[in-house]
Amino acid sequence: MSASFEEKSVWVQLIAMTVALGVYFFIAGRMLASGVHSVGAFAALFMIAVVFMVVLMVIAYVVAALTTKVEGRDERDRLIAWKAEHHSAWLTAVGMLGAVACMAAGVNNVWTANLLLLSLAVAEILGFVLRIVYYRRGV
Amino acid sequence: MGQERLTIINTIRALRFAADEMTQQALADRVGVSRQTINAIEAAKYSPSLEVAFRIARAFGKRIDEVFECLPRPR
Repeated sequence: MSASFEEKSVWVQLIAMTVALGVYFFIAGRMLASGVHSVGAFAALFMIAVVFMVVLMVIAYVVAALTTKVEGRDERDRLIAWKAEHHSAWLTAVGMLGAVACMAAGVNNVWTANLLLLSLAVAEILGFVLRIVYYRRGV
Repeated sequence: MGQERLTIINTIRALRFAADEMTQQALADRVGVSRQTINAIEAAKYSPSLEVAFRIARAFGKRIDEVFECLPRPR
């Protein structure tokens, strides 16, 4: 069964986000390990990662659109998106609680912000993986 | 609540072939879903909403119970 445009869109988002934020967290981890705690340095790195992710997505969307019939979301796409979000949103909540705990414990704000960002990224990536599983295995 | 689990089977594939070998894409266009959704319904990987089930039945000029059937899911 060939993938629909919606399924290909999920693959595009999964790969672009994993690559761009993977690079961000790799570099950010090294910066933190070497004692960099300037919010500006991390903000600049994050902006570069976001621009890189957007460029990747635009290129991949164009390729997907050229190779697949572009159709709107139907009820199965909406159900799959809802179910995946339902099973991945808890990670964001864990990250939020972790960030609050870090703030209460007086952890440096850069660490706290990166922990929060990591939980958001992992929750999104888990959501995309679940959507692909539901598309392939059935829902 | 201990209710038995059900699975919904259908005769869409047979109906498509009986309808002058209608393609999945042609049926999808008439129903208003993607071809992949029709494929998933045919393979019993997705149970459609009542509205889509009625649209599919209407596309073949059948009653909904002539297209879809509910059976106990084997354990």
